Amino acid sequence: MKNLNLFGVFIVSTALLASGCHRKPTSLTPIPGYDHPAVSQNPAEVSPSTPLPPENPVTSTLGVISEDHGKWNNLFDGPHNEDRDKFKADTVYFDFDKSAIKASEEGKLQDVAAYFKGNATDALIVEGNCDERGTEKYNLSLGERRALAVREYLANLGTDPQRIKTVTYGASKPVDPGHNEAAWSKNRRGDLVLVTPK
Amino acid sequence: MKTQFKIVLAAIFLWALTLNVVADGVIVITGETTHLIPISITGFTGEAESVLKFDLSVLGMEIKEPADYIISGKDDGRVEGSLTRAGMNRPIFLRAYAGGSTRSQAHAFANDIVKELRQTPPIFQTKIAFRLARGGPPEICVADFDGNNPVVLTHDRALVSSPSWLPGGRGLLYTSWMNGNTEIYEHNLATGARKVFAGYPGSSFSAEVSPDGQKVAMILSKSGSPNLYVCDIDGSHPKQLTHTREEDSCPCWSSDSREICFVCRSGRAVLQKISANGGEAVPVHVSGVYGNLTAPDWSPDGSKIAFTSGSGNFSICVMPAVGGEAEKLVAGEDPCWAPNSRTIIFTQRRNEKRVLCLLDVPTKHVKDVRQISGSCSEPSWAR
Repeated sequence: MKNLNLFGVFIVSTALLASGCHRKPTSLTPIPGYDHPAVSQNPAEVSPSTPLPPENPVTSTLGVISEDHGKWNNLFDGPHNEDRDKFKADTVYFDFDKSAIKASEEGKLQDVAAYFKGNATDALIVEGNCDERGTEKYNLSLGERRALAVREYLANLGTDPQRIKTVTYGASKPVDPGHNEAAWSKNRRGDLVLVTPK
Repeated sequence: MKTQFKIVLAAIFLWALTLNVVADGVIVITGETTHLIPISITGFTGEAESVLKFDLSVLGMEIKEPADYIISGKDDGRVEGSLTRAGMNRPIFLRAYAGGSTRSQAHAFANDIVKELRQTPPIFQTKIAFRLARGGPPEICVADFDGNNPVVLTHDRALVSSPSWLPGGRGLLYTSWMNGNTEIYEHNLATGARKVFAGYPGSSFSAEVSPDGQKVAMILSKSGSPNLYVCDIDGSHPKQLTHTREEDSCPCWSSDSREICFVCRSGRAVLQKISANGGEAVPVHVSGVYGNLTAPDWSPDGSKIAFTSGSGNFSICVMPAVGGEAEKLVAGEDPCWAPNSRTIIFTQRRNEKRVLCLLDVPTKHVKDVRQISGSCSEPSWAR
């Protein structure tokens, strides 16, 4: 019945259109089809973009220069081992929404700095992590700020900042999946990964 | 001369009468209404019916008697349908749709209805990108705005985040850890080709393409601190805009591509604006909400900024782009405007996973995106 009504309306509408009345025309709207986007290539096929000329180095408050990172990155070209256990006990923990190195964590970093005094060819990856109480992009910046705070602290203790690389994981790599302070306090951390030449 | 004038007047009068007849069936809703529009949908079946119901619900309409508008038609072979105001004999329009699938024809019909009843640009044939985690590491996924036709784009089994569309939906920028560093990649959707867009010493992340397609805002830590940078669309000429020691995050663009709104720390996380050419960052005055204010997104019409307030118990908030009183709309985080500057897609945490939801800002009506198995977050709307 409804369809019949519609059909009637359709005829009336078409008739009105034919008679030149100011009705909205009954038009046939073409729908463009969309192609499915292509999926990615293998990571191995990803090519780095053309390196850009270095900017003038910028000095942060604690004097760790940007291009230090760049020089250090070259050390990774050769084969190397990553040891996640060496500094496991020295994981640096942070207060909620903060990136300052707490007094309770300073001893750990002094031990790490002492290690690098005797092993000057080794290197370190600092991975900054957050608890789940921030939005994703905010946590990426907070995690990076935490990793950089560890790097700065070690640099001030004499460790060559060229040998310290920072990575941020935001809240994507919690060690405890819980949703309480006990879990969150474990997740707000800087993991230290020792890198040695093979 | 006088007679001619009278004839012209008479012609204008007659023309105006005709206009009235046309206007008779068209209710022009000016401004934003906070009420759901009661509608009825008859004659459609299966996919066409479910698409119409979903789409119109997203724009703040509900199936309810007595209906203000009657949507009727059929979908045998092709979608045909009319929109009629209750009590009127003649429809506001009657159209038939050809080509594409039943689903896309129904979306096109829904777009036409919304154009009449809400006076907003069409969104029902647009795409979203988001982060999808299913047990293992997350991947980047692209789907229709309603969650249908999902395509998983990456298969890197490495952490990935923050998808952002290139103009015209031709590609995406996203942050990936596939090489052990935090780097921004460019992904061409037509060819699948990828390249490192920004891989500077330290970490490079959170890329956002300007609406005019000329620039990219991003966070780089090569200065020793996570600061805001802008570069050209090909990744060249990165320029440092902020020089704070504390972390900056979450850049988004003004509709004219001249300004960037971002998050910086001033005791707590606050919103600031800065010219894309550099200069002093100025705080955005926000009243009515407290705690960390993060993840801003500037509406495409330039009038509003949506953001997330809180730490853990997140809320989606909207305020005038010039700053001022913010309205807390619904629980959730990471808002992203649709091209119509009315609908927002955002993330809600539910039962150990995250789901994507659509919010009709004026009515505060929330509709879940079609459920995709897994945890969906960080939505970005192609616009």
